[in-house]
Amino acid sequence: MSDDVNRVYKAVLSYEKDAVVESVKEAIDHGVDPLMLMNEGLSKAIVEIGERFGKEEIFLVELMVGAEACMAGIDLVKQKLLENKIQVLEPKGIIVIGTVQGDIHNIGKDIVKTLLEAAGFEVHDIGVDQPAESFVTKTVAFGAKVVASSALLTTTAPYQKEIEEKLKEAGIRDRVKTIIGGAATSPEWAKTVGADFYASTAAEGIVIIKKVFEGE
Amino acid sequence: MRAKLEVLSSRELDTIYGAALDILAKIGVNIEDDEIIQLLKKHGCKTDENNIVYFQKSLVERCLEATPNRGGKTVLCGRDPSKDIVMEEGQRRQWIIAHVLMNYFDAASTTYRTITKQDIRNFVTLVDALDSLDGVWMCTLMPEFDKLYSYFEYELGIRSTTKPVCFSSFEPVAIPPAFELAAALAGGEAELKKRPLTVAFCEISPLTWNKYGCDMLKVTAKPGIQPVITVETPMGDTGSATFAGNIAQKIAELLSGLVIVQLLEEGLNVLFVAPLEVFDMRTAQICLASRGDYVWACAVGQLESYLGIPIISPISPDSKLLDLQEAYELSFSLIPRLLGGNKTTVIHGLDQTHAISNELLLLMDEMAISTRRMVQGIEVNDDTLAFDVLQSVCSKIENGRRMGHFLNQTHTLKWYEKEHYPRRDNLIDKYNREKWIQNGSRSFYQRAAERAEKILKEHTPEPLSEDMEKTIKRIHEKYDIPMIGA
Repeated sequence: MSDDVNRVYKAVLSYEKDAVVESVKEAIDHGVDPLMLMNEGLSKAIVEIGERFGKEEIFLVELMVGAEACMAGIDLVKQKLLENKIQVLEPKGIIVIGTVQGDIHNIGKDIVKTLLEAAGFEVHDIGVDQPAESFVTKTVAFGAKVVASSALLTTTAPYQKEIEEKLKEAGIRDRVKTIIGGAATSPEWAKTVGADFYASTAAEGIVIIKKVFEGE
Repeated sequence: MRAKLEVLSSRELDTIYGAALDILAKIGVNIEDDEIIQLLKKHGCKTDENNIVYFQKSLVERCLEATPNRGGKTVLCGRDPSKDIVMEEGQRRQWIIAHVLMNYFDAASTTYRTITKQDIRNFVTLVDALDSLDGVWMCTLMPEFDKLYSYFEYELGIRSTTKPVCFSSFEPVAIPPAFELAAALAGGEAELKKRPLTVAFCEISPLTWNKYGCDMLKVTAKPGIQPVITVETPMGDTGSATFAGNIAQKIAELLSGLVIVQLLEEGLNVLFVAPLEVFDMRTAQICLASRGDYVWACAVGQLESYLGIPIISPISPDSKLLDLQEAYELSFSLIPRLLGGNKTTVIHGLDQTHAISNELLLLMDEMAISTRRMVQGIEVNDDTLAFDVLQSVCSKIENGRRMGHFLNQTHTLKWYEKEHYPRRDNLIDKYNREKWIQNGSRSFYQRAAERAEKILKEHTPEPLSEDMEKTIKRIHEKYDIPMIGA
């Protein structure tokens, strides 16, 4: 690893966004290959941060701030790749994520989104209080393979069943995997609504989604 | 420290201290040692035919003034000087010492056994590894070591930790070899005067120095040893059932020991140990963790500051199990001591002063962290008020709704650990129920046992040097005492 790439890698591990941006700019100015910067610097560091969080060696805030710092670096590298007309790396998978209708809780969803993005997935966050139709429309529009829905309230959890039904109605249920989470959900609820997976924590959700795409 | 519990006014402190001086002058102290009686007479004390010595106020105050650590620094020395316990006004950390006792409680089988050498090694190694605990105090009375138990437990202690190791002794014969070992650790007898061995011994209430106590006073009143005068005045038994009177009696008894030490060897540092027991009138038992102790715990920090001499006030739960009673007694004893500003606390284990447990150390670890955090108080400044961060979080609006949060803020990264002292292990369960079940539905005890086992696998205390090993061998040969062995 060159000094420039190493500096980017260390900047991500220090969770300092400014340091990441500065080190990426310097590396690009020094003519470092943007793909190498992405793979050996930014991605390697965020994967390490993710693994450390998975092992409970660091706290969620370290992961979240580290992921945002990393994303700032990734944006710069992507710009450079576009300028150089180099094919941007294929995402590891495409996911649609949102909070169900009637429910405005976003934090759990945002954590999963950040973790997935940092892990190299393309995530389309449709926001909170989203009707089942939105999940289906966006899944079709982005060619997503995973539909992730969050429900924090027992009154809103039934909308997760509606997502299942709408996916079937659209004829794409067998082409996607669904995963549910949030305080109102449980493994039993996943069976009841017909979801493929249930995640009790954000970290567990990431592990499951990674496995879905690895198994493709 | 920021938070401070004050339960006695300065006038009340003056009154209690005045009563203590009156007790010494008018009621006097029974002393079972002619040499010490003569010494006190020589310094102006009156005596009677029952060996009662009446301490005049001027002598007590002169001796208190002559005690060098009064109002200054008192140090319990570790093998590693950077781990010394330094007690002084305004100290940043309140020290917590774990006591090693005569039995080991096996929490898995809920049975007690006589403590073994390996139990001591493991327990002290855990203390060595845990940042929240600052040293060990030994009093195992292990039968296999007969009257030399204090020497053996001291050697076992210093082998397993570089933190301070102190001991309580009832046997003067164990002091000379322990003194030589401490001198070797300090780098010679001259150095030992600067980094003394700390030895505790006990007076008998009410107001009596018996033959044993006097022997310990004489054997420990020498440069290189820091004597710790211990008094016990169970409320309703050998001490008043009222707090004010009981505390005044305690202070009188402690000061009588201080006077004798200063007359035997002027210029020695002195420490006090003073638990507060209540005689439980239902069971006819002396109980150490009682409402009486919790009240005393609130006041002990103020009293030691008033006297200028540290008062170590042991915590001794009466519970026989690692159960809810244990947690209740431990927390109610620990929290007010620290909030009251007590400089150093010693925690016994279970069944009063009878048993220790590795798992209990982990509970102490968590309680120590939490209580110290309570004492730290709340920092109020522009950064901690977080106005700008809140403004930034609230500025994230999607579809007319505020969607920001603090989880991804560098402010949270900066302050989360500083403000909350979060654990990085799973000793205290914080998972949701599904995850807790997935992890084996383990109890606190099971998690603590697992954590203790992990620490013991991973942590090795710094070994003694080869020269120290040779010195220890010489001490054993000189005093004809067997090597400790496995």
